[in-house]
Amino acid sequence: MSPQHGSQPIQHQFNPYSDNGGTLLGIAGEDFAILASDTRQSVDYSINTRLSHKIKVISPPVTKEMKLESTDIVGTKNSVLFGTNGFSADGDALTKAFEENWKWYVHDQNSNVETGFEFLNENNEEKESFMSMQSAARNVQHLLYGKRFFPYYVHTILAGLDEEGKGCVYSFDPVGSYEREQCRVGGAGASLIMPFLDNQVNFKNQYIPGTNSTERRKIEYLSLDECLKLVKDAFTSVTERHITVGDGLEIFIIDKNGVRSEYHALKKD
Amino acid sequence: MSQQDPSTINGGIVVAMTGKDCVAIACDLRLGSQSLGVANNFEKIHQYGKVFIGFTGLATDALTLSADLKYKHNLYKLKENRGIQPEVFANLISSTLYEKRFGPYFSTPVVAGLSEKTGEPYVAGFDCIGCIDAARDFIVAGTASDQLFGMCEALYEPNLESEDLFETISQALLNAADRDAISGWGAAVYMITKDKVTKTYLKTRQD
Repeated sequence: MSPQHGSQPIQHQFNPYSDNGGTLLGIAGEDFAILASDTRQSVDYSINTRLSHKIKVISPPVTKEMKLESTDIVGTKNSVLFGTNGFSADGDALTKAFEENWKWYVHDQNSNVETGFEFLNENNEEKESFMSMQSAARNVQHLLYGKRFFPYYVHTILAGLDEEGKGCVYSFDPVGSYEREQCRVGGAGASLIMPFLDNQVNFKNQYIPGTNSTERRKIEYLSLDECLKLVKDAFTSVTERHITVGDGLEIFIIDKNGVRSEYHALKKD
Repeated sequence: MSQQDPSTINGGIVVAMTGKDCVAIACDLRLGSQSLGVANNFEKIHQYGKVFIGFTGLATDALTLSADLKYKHNLYKLKENRGIQPEVFANLISSTLYEKRFGPYFSTPVVAGLSEKTGEPYVAGFDCIGCIDAARDFIVAGTASDQLFGMCEALYEPNLESEDLFETISQALLNAADRDAISGWGAAVYMITKDKVTKTYLKTRQD
């Protein structure tokens, strides 16, 4: 029975969050990293758009020489691939906030400082400097924890190359707890894909035949082609079983040549 | 502790898959009380003639249901003088569950077997009020059903030979259980072919 009319005041509540579905996936290879996501954005059972972008390539300017080598380059090897999944308005806000920090950081790194403070910039060298993935990750932690009591409702994943040129993936919870990993899935399809990645990337529960399950299969880096196959398999699988995942798959690959992107159609039902 | 979901108190998973002239059904061995582990030998798969059924969900209901079905299976054998077919058993489970439509058993069973006449593999799953899901590929159930769906959807292919099906179902179960805190603590796999049934215990993580 509904509460008797007039017996108590009607209460209204504003909910500042919504769930926009979707899935985000990052894999690190030996000298490359991948960040991929589906392109559907939905609320409840409605689809807002079939082509939304959850990943932003935050990159220094791409030079003409780089374009000459390969026309489809969308970022340099010093880029940060920045992906958010969850409440997309918060994701966009976080992406913008980080981009701002990134731009000022790079600017300050490369600007000459006052006489007497040369040590701050390796004696005012002309060498161009960028933001390392380690620093990017720590900055994102501060952005997220800065809103500890009104959080950005997102699962964040960064991908890029570390200072040795090795692929790296950093993943964050909504309030800034983070970790560097070989692979991570975030969002609606995380529970479906994560065990698959445990098995296929980190070789969990795989043993060398004939050893009576005493010797684990040694972990080794996967090639780019193998990783891309896994990404596509993961997304086609999760599209099959999850209603908020589908429409399109956007993949960004970063290696020593820069960043390039791929698009593949997913089922639209 | 006041309000809790009965189907996730004890934890546990079951998965079944079809192959070429074979079916497999597997379960974990954990029985828990929320986060507390209580037993590591709680087998969720029961045998009824040549039909195998895995019960996930609330352990007390799973046990009650398995005993009720044992009773009904015995009566069936007495009346009909023959074993029960998996399709028939699925319908029996469905009506048994629906009898309790407004006060259901908090258990989601999974049936696996070979049809005696055709030799066709058969798997079926149910919700807690008896709606049959007779899939042609695989059925998952339990607290790590999301993880199992992801694993099965990615690893499964149709018409696998029994050795390959065994590997597929084992990897699906193991890796799904490892991403669920209240599943695991051992596993058992049944491989059912025309003239042989094998039961294998798997070595698993114990955390």
